[in-house]
Amino acid sequence: MSGLTSTISNAVMLSALYALVAIGFTLIFGVGGVLNLSHGATITVGAFTAYFATSVFGLNIWAAAFASMVVGAAFMIAFYLGMVQFVEDQPITVMILTLVMSIVVEEVAKILVGTQPRALPSLVDGQIALLGGVQANRLLAFALSWVIIALLFAGVNYTRTGKAILATSMSTKGASLVGIESKRMYLYTWALAGLLAALAGVFLGSIQTVSWAMGREPLVLSFSIVVLGGIGSIRGSILGAYVIGFLEVFTVSYVDSSLSGLASLVVLVIILLVKPEGLFGRELTH
Amino acid sequence: MVNEDNSRTGRETDGNESGVSSGTLSSPSRRRAFLGSVGAAAAVGLAGCMGGGGSGPSGAFKIGVLAPEPSKNPIGSSIANAAKYAATTLNENDGVLGNDVEVVVKDTHEDPATGKSKYQELTVGEEVDFTTGVFTSEVMLNLMDSIAEQSTVHMNAGSATPDTAKQVKADYEKYKYYFRSGPVNSHYLGQNMIDFADAKFSDLGWDSVAVLAEDYAWTEPVTSVLEDKLAATGVDVPISKRYASGTSDFSPIYDDIESSDADAAYVVMAHTGTSAIVQWAKQQRAFEFGGIHVPMQFPSYYGSVNGANRYAVVQNSATPNAAVTEKTMPFNEGYYDQFDSYPVYTGYHTYDAVMSYVNAATAADSRNADDVIPEIESQSFTGTAGTVSYYGQDQAYPHDLVYGQDAAWPLWFQWQEGDGSGSQTTLWPDELASGSYQKPPWV
Repeated sequence: MSGLTSTISNAVMLSALYALVAIGFTLIFGVGGVLNLSHGATITVGAFTAYFATSVFGLNIWAAAFASMVVGAAFMIAFYLGMVQFVEDQPITVMILTLVMSIVVEEVAKILVGTQPRALPSLVDGQIALLGGVQANRLLAFALSWVIIALLFAGVNYTRTGKAILATSMSTKGASLVGIESKRMYLYTWALAGLLAALAGVFLGSIQTVSWAMGREPLVLSFSIVVLGGIGSIRGSILGAYVIGFLEVFTVSYVDSSLSGLASLVVLVIILLVKPEGLFGRELTH
Repeated sequence: MVNEDNSRTGRETDGNESGVSSGTLSSPSRRRAFLGSVGAAAAVGLAGCMGGGGSGPSGAFKIGVLAPEPSKNPIGSSIANAAKYAATTLNENDGVLGNDVEVVVKDTHEDPATGKSKYQELTVGEEVDFTTGVFTSEVMLNLMDSIAEQSTVHMNAGSATPDTAKQVKADYEKYKYYFRSGPVNSHYLGQNMIDFADAKFSDLGWDSVAVLAEDYAWTEPVTSVLEDKLAATGVDVPISKRYASGTSDFSPIYDDIESSDADAAYVVMAHTGTSAIVQWAKQQRAFEFGGIHVPMQFPSYYGSVNGANRYAVVQNSATPNAAVTEKTMPFNEGYYDQFDSYPVYTGYHTYDAVMSYVNAATAADSRNADDVIPEIESQSFTGTAGTVSYYGQDQAYPHDLVYGQDAAWPLWFQWQEGDGSGSQTTLWPDELASGSYQKPPWV
């Protein structure tokens, strides 16, 4: 039984991180209609910012996490303003551009620190006697993820800017007619996605390790999560993150660890064939 | 930035590389280098022109080095730098057979196809005397036919698969150009884990261990030996698991080990090792940790994982602070003086590989591979990581480095903390021990 308890606790913790990653991915797609293949690279940028902040500049991990969010958001803003905005109506060009950016980030990471993974300090040390013993650092990542998700949810639903972002995601034309600058909304979503992905990078780096290829797996999982939940739906992404998170952890624990990545891809294919709009569908289309 | 792919080191004067500059690459050589990369057919044709000439290469004595990401990966840089250091020491002693020694490094990118094309560039384009290096077993296996076609000796320094020696066994005439100077092949790496278990587990208090191996080709012979022999040493083995190569979250696996009440995880890891050790330490798992763990062999590892490797026990060929032979420490010091860092195991083996070939070529007084091979086969000399000698044709792994107490005999160390930084404290063999085992305080 303790095996099952710890498996469930692993799945719950991991899923919260997946949700952080997937929400940013779905925001950019839902609002701007851009398939951002550099989303995983932003995780890497966030994690390496924290690594350099702690190991080179000697900051504590909390300050480093804050710096990561700033750098992650700035990275995405610069990428959007400097490149993506000029081609955002050309889906193939955007896919190539964002893919190239993710490769550039990986190569730069390899040049700066090499191919060996690095460790980040834990945000908090020790174990907490809950569910048979949980690492405090993981529990904190889980709790903070939920705080941020709740803030984001409230922000999107109850603030003027949030409502404007939502309106833009429903219809760019309609939003423009009521005076919403869609470009500004796109920029907000890129910044938000950057912030969330960078924070997820810090958590992942702190729980596992920081490495040049660390953004790949979360990006692929994001596809499954977002399609399962319904592209553009934040609620769907959270639910999707938990379904995929549980599927991953249970596959590794009870079936075979080599099937972990495959299980979520099977879900992706099934959803695409059977219910392409996902569990929550899109709120509205352009 | 230096392009390692074309980096060369020759006789050093005034601290500059002067053996060969890019300007001395004659245009025919450039053309040959180009031809070498266009395809196997051209390569075979050119090999036919080159081979069987009887006299072997002429001019500068060239060492062709294949290394993975030599500017980014410590394994690759140790291969490249050890070959350069060997060239430096040889040139200080009048070179080889009266010729200056040059080193040409090519990057395999750990990719079999790239490795093959770079090998062709070295042998056909650069016309090197012999090649050395290669870390990834898949790259090494893909080179075996090219080595046979080029009739140029390759001294493997890094990859551990025994399948290469099996090819030598199956067709000696074709594959006799292949030798492994280190490490011992993965069958013997597994045997060494058995020997360590036999000698030290009772001292460590490990009555029960969970075997954990990453699912890569190189670990298969190791786990096969462990499955056959580990239980016979008297240790209980409740779990023997080969986990997926892409594993990044070890929590589920560690939960299983804790549930089994194993005293330690006895591991076989290279590519996934850092995630595994960092999560073990951060989660303060209730079992000890030891085995083959390639990243933990890196002398500078402690800093890069914030000391997560403290208390882990690791097998290695040689370390910066253990005098495995009388040549180990002078090598460590000379290497450090030249590169401002210490090598990982591939460095010791590459240096031994170069010296092995040079000793044989000198004894044969020839640069022709067919003259040098019998000398390599019969040689036995003290290297930096043990005595270098090779198994004969009638043995299970012909041309592989001989394993044993009087031959290549890996050491085991524990990462311990001293003065705020990590040190590799040797535990075994006893004559090299520099301290005793420390149990992780949370176990």
